[in-house]
Amino acid sequence: MVDWPDGNLDAAVRFDEDPYDVIIVGAGVVGCALAYKLSQYRLRVLLLDKNYDVGEATSKGNSAIVHTGFDAAPGTLESQLVTQASRQWPELAEKLKIPFEKCGAMVLAITDEQNKQLDTIHAKAVSNGVDDVRLLSAAQTRELEPSVPQDVLGGLLIPRESIADPFTTSIAYAEVALANGIDILFGAEIVEIEDADKTIKKLVTARNDRIATRIIVNVAGLGSRRLADLYGGDEFDINPRRGQFLIFDKYSRSAIKRILLPIPTAQTKGVLVIPTIFGNLIAGPTAEDFSLDDEEVTDTTLEMLQSLLSGASRLFPGLVDQPVIGTFSGVRCNCSQGSYWIRSNDGHQGIVTVTGIRSTGFTSSPTLAEYLIKELHEKCGLNLEKNPNAVDSRPESNWPGWWQRPFANGELVKQNPDLGKIICYCENISRGEIIQHLDSPLKPRTLDAIKRRTRAQMGRCQGFDCQIKVAEIISEHCGIPLSKITKRGPESEIVPAPTAAGNEGKG
Amino acid sequence: MNSTKHFSVVIIGAGPAGIGAAIALYKRGVKSVALVERSDKIGGIPSLYKKKKGGVRTFIRWSRGGIPFFGEDYAHWLGEQLSKTDVQLWLQSQVIEIEAKENRITLVNPDEGRVTLTAAAIIMACGSREETASERGWLTGARPMRVFFTKQLLQLIDGNGLLPMRNPVIIGSDLIAYAAAAKLKVAGAADAIIVDNRRRPKCSYFERLYFRRWSQPNFRGVAAKSVEVVGSKTASGIRLSREDELIPCDGIVLCGELIPNSELALQGNFKVELPSRKPVVGRDSQLSEPGWFAAGNILGGFHGAEWCYFNGRRVARAVINHLSQSS
Repeated sequence: MVDWPDGNLDAAVRFDEDPYDVIIVGAGVVGCALAYKLSQYRLRVLLLDKNYDVGEATSKGNSAIVHTGFDAAPGTLESQLVTQASRQWPELAEKLKIPFEKCGAMVLAITDEQNKQLDTIHAKAVSNGVDDVRLLSAAQTRELEPSVPQDVLGGLLIPRESIADPFTTSIAYAEVALANGIDILFGAEIVEIEDADKTIKKLVTARNDRIATRIIVNVAGLGSRRLADLYGGDEFDINPRRGQFLIFDKYSRSAIKRILLPIPTAQTKGVLVIPTIFGNLIAGPTAEDFSLDDEEVTDTTLEMLQSLLSGASRLFPGLVDQPVIGTFSGVRCNCSQGSYWIRSNDGHQGIVTVTGIRSTGFTSSPTLAEYLIKELHEKCGLNLEKNPNAVDSRPESNWPGWWQRPFANGELVKQNPDLGKIICYCENISRGEIIQHLDSPLKPRTLDAIKRRTRAQMGRCQGFDCQIKVAEIISEHCGIPLSKITKRGPESEIVPAPTAAGNEGKG
Repeated sequence: MNSTKHFSVVIIGAGPAGIGAAIALYKRGVKSVALVERSDKIGGIPSLYKKKKGGVRTFIRWSRGGIPFFGEDYAHWLGEQLSKTDVQLWLQSQVIEIEAKENRITLVNPDEGRVTLTAAAIIMACGSREETASERGWLTGARPMRVFFTKQLLQLIDGNGLLPMRNPVIIGSDLIAYAAAAKLKVAGAADAIIVDNRRRPKCSYFERLYFRRWSQPNFRGVAAKSVEVVGSKTASGIRLSREDELIPCDGIVLCGELIPNSELALQGNFKVELPSRKPVVGRDSQLSEPGWFAAGNILGGFHGAEWCYFNGRRVARAVINHLSQSS
């Protein structure tokens, strides 16, 4: 069951005395992957989040690269999980119907000094088990990617570096988990933990629900510190690290085939130019550290956006003339005590803290989830009995091919005329697709949730033509007054609540 | 397989320019004209400015001073003129493919699915939209709810009877901005604060004087290169970064600064200036492939509805020349 406060949903999750086996706090990509993998066993699991959709925080603002792990620090848990996951991704994408493309990547050397470093990077890749990388001459580099600078001295080709749909990934994990009977609760901010030291613990939400469980997994990302304070686990610090990106229009996409990377410096990996699965190019990220309580952490800033453009144009000089259609920033969950900071029985038996999962968490989510299940089994005594009825894949959508749009098929439109009513002109999204997503398992109800599922409002006009129409369709289809439609949950309503005086909206 | 239909002229966009072209073609005896519109009604942007008692009339002929109209009345007049012709109107028809060399477009609509149209001449009268925050280049910061474009403001106020904000900040200072301030005031909001990165408003003195009947917005010209949107869930203010001053508000409107809807031209590999998105046109508004024309606000710049209407008529004459030469 999936529920949220005032969500107008048919089924409401009821919390009785019967405890959950596991409650996962945080429905980002890692929490959703864990729910997906746990749903393969006979367990009572609850996935909860303070937001009103999955993947609403760190997981929505990243580069969407499925890394091979070629440049990871060898021997770390991060490197191990990423390199394993990289090989699982093609099959995972197929099962979960996640748009995925093995586009490859290329590290470019422009100066002599950079050219010398290519060998070091090559050796590191091989020691990480990524043995299909290849050093390229200047001529080979330019032949493979004609848009790179003419003075490029050499490159390193990483054939298996890939891109995927970052939004669909969390959604797909959660949808399959839900189909296998786990519960999902949105709008649930945890304010207290009762009986943390007992076998049966109780999570208290801001709405004063008490939810009993044997095991708590803290995958709350940027919120992991505040949650850990409630149970007093081991010390760690989160320093949110902002990454800003520029989004270019689709007409620039054909100019490059692969992800372009600069030679990393000691301070930073530098600015990348990355094709997206949706057919745009993005340039980024920046790396700016913030304190945990800083509200501006997801803002974009002019200086940084300008520095991104100059950085990116060193890899693809033609980019400066391309129209930027949007910008975004994401926040990495950066842990001062180290990446992939995982503590089982943290403070108390049955509480697991998982934090410091930085940008690689998107790639490693399937293997990290398996690693965590092993920890839960071995260290927290979680009994793992396979559920023979569990499914591990998502059904095809009712139009053929999960990343083809229905307008490509005239017969389909004739059967369902709503699929021919295009309301997002930039991305050609129909009213019918929006309604199908409103009826999808996680029952998305917010403008952003629909944006991430359909791409309506995500094109070059940024909602100029379709945002209000999307809101009207949500309102009409779900029986919610238009004035109560939100961007991402309560307090982000499309218009302010009317005052007692009335006398409004007559213009 | 798609069905294919043949016309002598296909016009993409049923706003003032497209309708102007359609009517002119009809009057000059061109048979078999198709007018393709992606939304469910004709009239384009003017149709969004609804007629209401005590409401804001705006300039239809603003390029020349002209008479204030309700946009809806003007759209209605366009519809009446159009209904006297035999032009075939295709509503809710989105063009999804464009083949420049073959003079061919493919559209999708709810009744027929996919349909391919070919024509001896095709006019793009796709209009324009308002620049996004990132296209403006000086507006950054947060991305909360209630940062609207004028179009959305009209859809909420006139289309749904909702007040989108009580204390508005308007970004941009052209005629659209001053009309939006008036619109908001009539709907029940306070006088807006109009912010632009220039010293004086773009809107002329006389036009501003005209709108003072409804509202007295406060213009703030900012020297700052960067203005930041503030607000975690909904917009709560803008920060003028150099002055470090916060102007509180409960909603922001991005007004004016029109950008041509030249996507189809780009998709069809026509010559288009980037990043301005203006299609490159020759004499008589011919696009870079023979048999293709552009009319109205897709040409770039800032033009009123009536200018677009007359421009559509002018382009129709060029199309007729083209038809007579090629036949």
